[in-house]
Amino acid sequence: MTDWLEYLPTLLQGVGVTLWITCSGLLLGLLIALVLTWILEQEVPVLTQLAEGYLLLLTGTPLLVQIFLIYYGPAQFDWLKASWAWQYLREPGFCIVLALGLNAGAYTCRLFKGALDAVPKGETLACRALGMNAWQTLNVKLRHAGRRVIPAYSNEVILVLKGSSLASTITIMDIMGLAQRLNAQTYDTLVVFALAGVIYLALNGTLTLLFRLLERRALIFQTQG
Amino acid sequence: MLTHLLNAALMTLGLALVSLAFGLVLAVLFSAAEMSRQAWLRWPAVTLTTTLRGLPEILVVFFIYFGSTHLLFLLTGEYLEFSPFWCGVTALSLLFAAYAAQTLRGALNAVPRGQRQAAQALGLPPLYTFFHIVLPQTWRHALPGLGNQWLILLKDTALVSLIGVHDLMHQAKMISASSYQPFTWYGTAALIYLAITIISQHGVRRLQARVTRYD
Repeated sequence: MTDWLEYLPTLLQGVGVTLWITCSGLLLGLLIALVLTWILEQEVPVLTQLAEGYLLLLTGTPLLVQIFLIYYGPAQFDWLKASWAWQYLREPGFCIVLALGLNAGAYTCRLFKGALDAVPKGETLACRALGMNAWQTLNVKLRHAGRRVIPAYSNEVILVLKGSSLASTITIMDIMGLAQRLNAQTYDTLVVFALAGVIYLALNGTLTLLFRLLERRALIFQTQG
Repeated sequence: MLTHLLNAALMTLGLALVSLAFGLVLAVLFSAAEMSRQAWLRWPAVTLTTTLRGLPEILVVFFIYFGSTHLLFLLTGEYLEFSPFWCGVTALSLLFAAYAAQTLRGALNAVPRGQRQAAQALGLPPLYTFFHIVLPQTWRHALPGLGNQWLILLKDTALVSLIGVHDLMHQAKMISASSYQPFTWYGTAALIYLAITIISQHGVRRLQARVTRYD
């Protein structure tokens, strides 16, 4: 039973990759979500319908299909292989970040829109009654929604971290990828996967704790008064 | 080739429905254990559901599929492979139950206390009260959450293609490899998933209208 001590350093090598994929995916997702939420909030004519379609497509299909579509899909088109984009699209690292980002963008946008819609109508009316312009009104709305969004966003972060494990399906050596390789080398399935599970749980636990601290700071106004 | 894909879609649907059935039973058991006054029932259930919610889905699927074979090997010294389908069902229903138990717990708490007290005052036995008075009223609170979890379950079924279940995703992979048209066939599979999702959403909405018709 001393084997597990030997597995641990190998598996820990994957933590960096997992965190890098997760952070890049989240950042891209945040960017996409902000743009989409702006489009939906301002009700830009054609773009709104396109954004709705995007949300439906990305939240209605499995992440695994999206990853395979982005990683294996482009090889079908010769013109794409000849173009400059091919040097990025053939990289699994680029594809997983793109897929996770596109996916997270859709879910995060739903989250943001929900938080904005939850701001009471009276508040925007009050802003208008006070003679604020559209920009100032949006500012008030954003601050209000921002505080509500933090607890829900922590769920999204954990979903992306869990989703990053699918990187192993396109040959990336993250925690899950290393666990699968170790399993194939040693056949010590239960120990290897249990250790990988413990690492993921530790990462998720740390993230949850961090967000709880952040939440307490952001929602401090609720406890006062 | 489209017929192959549609047949595989039936496999995906079957897998999801069987997992849903087992998952719902497990979810009721989990939420009952989590709300139990006995600590020896409560703690294992809370630990199990929290762990399941913190692990990547793919890890749970692999752990059950490869782990069950390994465990049997350690116990009996025989090398036997379990059916990927039932391993997939086990993993998916456990994952579903871990999230659904949360929803159910909230919904059970949302049923007014007076209902239970009235049943007690009428002298109804506890199990009868739970199944005939409380549970029917739980569904209307739980349905929106459970509907979402069903959609997540449906998307998670794609993961069992990695352990060799011949589902929609697996079939799409095979056709892509033989036809050299990965974009077309993964795209088609995505559209089939989307169609199932949209139909499900519609169904859940109708069900929701049905259970809240007295409100």
